[in-house]
Amino acid sequence: MDPMTFSIIRHRLFRIVDEAVITLKHVSGSAITNEGHDLMVSLYRADGTLLMGGVGFLHHLTSAAEACKSIIRRFEGDIHEGDIFLLNDPYTAALHTSDIYLVSPIHHEGRLVAWSACFVHVYDIGAVNPGGFAPQAPDIYTEGFSSPGIRLVAGGEMRQDVLDTILNMVRSPEMVTLDLRSMIACNNVARDRMQSLMTKYGAKEVDGACAELVNQSEDLFRARLRELPDGQWQSRQYLDVNGDTARVNLTMTKKDDRLIFDFSGSDPQSPYSINCTKWASLGGLFAPLFPLLCYDITWNEGVLRPVEMIAPEGSIVNCTRPAPVSVATVGAIQSVNNAACSTIGKMLGASEKYRNQSTAVWHANHFAIFKFGRNQKGGDSIGILTETFAGAGGARSFADGVEIGGEIPNPISRMANVETVEAAFPVRYLFRRRAPDSGGPGEYRGGTGGELALVPHKAPDGGINYVISGKGSRHPMSEGLAGGYPGAPNSYVWVKAPEDGANTPVTAAGGLDAISGTQERVSWGVYPLMGRDALYVRWNGGGGHGDPIVRDPEAVRRDVAAGLVTLQSAGDIYGVALRDGAVDETETMAKRKSIRSARLQQEASE
Amino acid sequence: MSGQDRISASVAVKEGQAVCAACGHDLGPATKPWKDHAHRREIPLALAGGQAYDTGHEGVLLRHFYCPGCAALLDTETAMAGDPALDDILAARG
Repeated sequence: MDPMTFSIIRHRLFRIVDEAVITLKHVSGSAITNEGHDLMVSLYRADGTLLMGGVGFLHHLTSAAEACKSIIRRFEGDIHEGDIFLLNDPYTAALHTSDIYLVSPIHHEGRLVAWSACFVHVYDIGAVNPGGFAPQAPDIYTEGFSSPGIRLVAGGEMRQDVLDTILNMVRSPEMVTLDLRSMIACNNVARDRMQSLMTKYGAKEVDGACAELVNQSEDLFRARLRELPDGQWQSRQYLDVNGDTARVNLTMTKKDDRLIFDFSGSDPQSPYSINCTKWASLGGLFAPLFPLLCYDITWNEGVLRPVEMIAPEGSIVNCTRPAPVSVATVGAIQSVNNAACSTIGKMLGASEKYRNQSTAVWHANHFAIFKFGRNQKGGDSIGILTETFAGAGGARSFADGVEIGGEIPNPISRMANVETVEAAFPVRYLFRRRAPDSGGPGEYRGGTGGELALVPHKAPDGGINYVISGKGSRHPMSEGLAGGYPGAPNSYVWVKAPEDGANTPVTAAGGLDAISGTQERVSWGVYPLMGRDALYVRWNGGGGHGDPIVRDPEAVRRDVAAGLVTLQSAGDIYGVALRDGAVDETETMAKRKSIRSARLQQEASE
Repeated sequence: MSGQDRISASVAVKEGQAVCAACGHDLGPATKPWKDHAHRREIPLALAGGQAYDTGHEGVLLRHFYCPGCAALLDTETAMAGDPALDDILAARG
C-alpha cells in the first residue's frame, strides 16, 4: 500500500473515534459521562481484535476487544447489519456491571468488516446500592443486572422488550435510557463513518491498511522495548477496606522485546467488591502502558502482542465467580494501574534515552462517592462526586507533578463545576481547593490533590445519602520514585454538627478543622448527609521524585506561600527554614545537615 | 551491563556495580538487590512529616533507603511490617 493512502486511512480512523466520542457526549445527559469523561470508544477488526484505541478510560480498550470476541462466539452465524449487542458481565469481559459495553458490527456490502465498541458508566444498574458501586454487595448476584451478551438492537430496530426488561431493573430508568441511546448514537456514527471510508477506498484496501497498522504498532513497540534496559522491577499496592488490607504484588520483567507482568503473590480474592477479573487486570496494566510507552504508537492489537500477564486464579486480580467486583474500577483495577505505572516509571528511569519520561504514580486512589436522594426540585438524583476524576500528577525526573492534574489511565478525565453539582443535588460546597501536603515530597514534588466539604442545602428530605467505596484512607497509593515520598492518602470525614445549634461556617479558611462538630472517619458503605452535618473529602496527591532535602529551597518557599506545603512539612521533610516569608539559608543548611546526620545514624539493613 | 549507566535517578551503575548517584558509594552488583547494601529506616507513616500522613491508623510504615556514604535518600516504600523490600535489578548483559 502506498504510504499516502495508508496515512490517510490511519488518520480517518482516528477521526472516526473522535467524532463518535463527541456524539456520545452530545446525547448523554449524565455528569459522570459529560463532566467526568468516564467513557471510551474504540474500533475493532472483524475478529474483535483492537484496531484503534480511543480516549477515555484506557483499561477498557482490551476488555472491549474481549467483549467483541465473546459476541462473535455467542452469536456466530447470527450477526447482522444494524445489530447492536449489550454486554456487561465482568466474568465475560466487562470491568463491572455498571460499565455497559455496546458493541456494534460494521458491515460493508453484506460482509462483517469491523466492530465499534463503547461504554459509559450508566446512571444505575440495579445493584444493592445506587449508582453501580456496591460496597454492601457480598457477590456478583447483588451487583445488578448483568448480561454476557444480548441483542439490544436488531437490524437497526430497538428491541423494546429487551430495553424495557433492563429498565425495569434499574433506578432512574429515564437516565439509563439516555445512557444507552447515547451509546447507540455513538456506534451508529462510528459505523456510518467506517462504511463511508470503505466505500471511498474499498473494503479490501481499508482492511489491508488496518492489518498494516497493527503490524506497525507491534514493530514500533518491540523496537522501543529493545531500546529499554533489561531488568526486573517491583511494586506493591495495599487496599484497605473495613480494616482489612489486601495486597497487589507486581514484578515486571523486561527482556529484549518482551514485557511480562507477573502478579503472583497477590492476595486471594476479597469478600469485598474490590476484586477484578483477569480481563480487567489485563486492561488495568495496559492503561498506563499505552500512554507511557506508546504515546506515539497507535494503540491496537500490535501493542498487546509483546506483553504477557500472569495473574493467579482466585486472587484479587483474577477472581472467580461469584466474587463481588462492582468496586473493581477503583479497587483492584486501579491498583493494577498504579503498580504498572510504578514499574514502567522505574524502567524508564533506568534508561538513558527515556529517563525524562519517567513519572511517579499519579492519582492512585479514586473515591467513589455516589450521592442519592430527593433533590431540591422534587425529583430523584443519583450521581458521583466527579472530583474523583480530578486527580493529581506524579512528579517527573525534571519537574513537579501537575496540581489536580488528572490521572494516567484516563487522559481526558476532569471534574464538574461546583455549580453543576449544586444545581443537580440539594447540597452546597463549603470549599473545594488544593490540599496542603497532599503531593508526595521530593526534589520534584508530586502534584497536589484536593479537598472539599459538602453540606445539605434546601433538601426536601433534610439532606441526602451517599454510597462511599472509599478504600485508601490508611495506605498511601501514589508511590514515589528515586527517594520521592508517596502522595498522602485519602481522607473521608463525617462532621456531625454540634448539639447546641452552632452554625456551620461557610468558609474556605481553616479547612476541615474550621467546620464545627465532631469528626468521624467513614470509608465503606452508605451514610447520611443530613441536617447541619458536613462531608469532608481529601484526595491523594501524586508521588514525589528524588530526595526532598535537595529540593530548591526557593521552590519550597513558593509552595508554602501558595498553601501547597505547610510550614511544618517545609521544615521536617524538606529541611527548609523560612523566616518572614523568605528562605533562611544559614538555618536551612544547618537543618539539612542535621537531617543527613540523623540518617547516617540508622542501622544498616543487612 | 554494557551501556547501562543507572538503575534510577538516585542509583547509578559503574562497571557493573550499583553505586550512589550522588557520591559513588558501592551498593553491590547491579544484578542483585542494591537495597541490601543501603541503610534502611522504617517509621510509622504518621511520623513521616506533616499532618496529611497522619491517618490515625497504625501499622503502616514508610521505609527509607539511604546511601551509607552520603545519606542521600535513594528510595522509599510504603510497607507493612514484615513485608519484603521491593527489588529493582538490571539483567546482566553479554
